[in-house]
Amino acid sequence: MEGRTLVRRAARGRVQTPVAREQVLLFRVGEGLYGIGIRGLWEVLSPEGITSLPTPQYQICTALAYRGRRLPLVRLGELFGVSADTVPPNARVLLTQGRGQPLGLLVDEVLGVVDVDPQHIAPMPVLASMLSPALFRGLVGKEDRVIILVSEDGLGEMAEVARFSDG
Amino acid sequence: MAPQAQRDRGVGGSSGGAQVVLFQLAGKSFAVELGQVEQIIDYREPTKTPRRPPHVEGVIEHRGRYLAVLNLRKRFGVAEPGPAHPAVLLITGAGPDPRVGLVVDQVLRVLSLPSDGVLTPPPRVFGIRAEYIRGVANAAGRPLVWLDVTKLLATAEAITLLA
Repeated sequence: MEGRTLVRRAARGRVQTPVAREQVLLFRVGEGLYGIGIRGLWEVLSPEGITSLPTPQYQICTALAYRGRRLPLVRLGELFGVSADTVPPNARVLLTQGRGQPLGLLVDEVLGVVDVDPQHIAPMPVLASMLSPALFRGLVGKEDRVIILVSEDGLGEMAEVARFSDG
Repeated sequence: MAPQAQRDRGVGGSSGGAQVVLFQLAGKSFAVELGQVEQIIDYREPTKTPRRPPHVEGVIEHRGRYLAVLNLRKRFGVAEPGPAHPAVLLITGAGPDPRVGLVVDQVLRVLSLPSDGVLTPPPRVFGIRAEYIRGVANAAGRPLVWLDVTKLLATAEAITLLA
C-alpha cells in the first residue's frame, strides 16, 4: 500500500522488507507476450458475447456495444501489425479503463496471471518500436521470458480511441 | 590551419589518433569508436517487439536493463543471412536510448588508428554516404570504414551496402 512503511519487524526480531508485488494478466498478441495490470481490469469477455460495429479490416479501433454502452475497442493485433485474417478462436476482450474511461482491448489469447515486482519494470527502449513509448508501461522479466506491459492510459489517449468514446 | 586542410590531414582526433573496435560485416571491415563500446556479448535471440523497424530484432535483457537490438546487416540492406553466431556490440551514447545492441558478423580486435592514417571519406564508401562515416583507413591492405554510429542511429534513411 502506498504511503505505508514497507519495513516491519518480524517475530524473531529480523528486519524484513516486504516486496510490493503486482498482479499482471498475461496475454498473447501474435507471437508476442504482453501483460496488463489487473487493478484496472473489470471483465474479460469472449468476443462471441459482444457486438462490434462494422469496421474496415485494418482499422485499429472500433466501437464495442456492451450492456447498452458504446465503448472503444482497440484491436491490438492491428495496432501491433500482427493481425490475423480471422479472429483467433481463443481471442478475448479485456475491459479496462484508460485515463478513467472504459476501454476494450482485443487480444489473441489470455494466458493467466503472474506476480511481478514493479521495481523491476524497465522502460521500453525507444528504438525497439515505431509505436509511441506512451503505449507501453515497460518490460519485465519472468522466468526467462520478457513481458511487454501495455499502458492502459497510453492506449486510452490514442486519437483513434477518442473518436469512439462516448464523451 | 584552414578547416579543409585539417580534414585532409586526417580525422582521427587531435591527440594523435583513436582507438576503435574493428569488426567484419558482409565481408567488409568496419570500426566504431572504442569509447562507445561498453561490452561485446554473444548473440541471443531477442524478444520481438511490436511494429519494430525492419533492422530492429527486438529487445534483450542485460544486467537488469533492456536494450534494443539492431542488426547492422539489415540496416545496410544486406539480404544474405549473417553467421550463425554473430556478436553484439553494446553501444553507448548513440541514439535516444542509453545503450543499444548492434549485431555484427564478427568482432576482430581493438585497433589504434594514427591521426594521419584516417582519411576524410569520399562522398560514398560501399554505398554509405560520408555523413555516416568518420573516416576511412587502411587495415592490413584492406579498406576500413570507421562508422559514425550516432548519426547512423539517428536517421531512418535507407542505406544499401554495395560490393
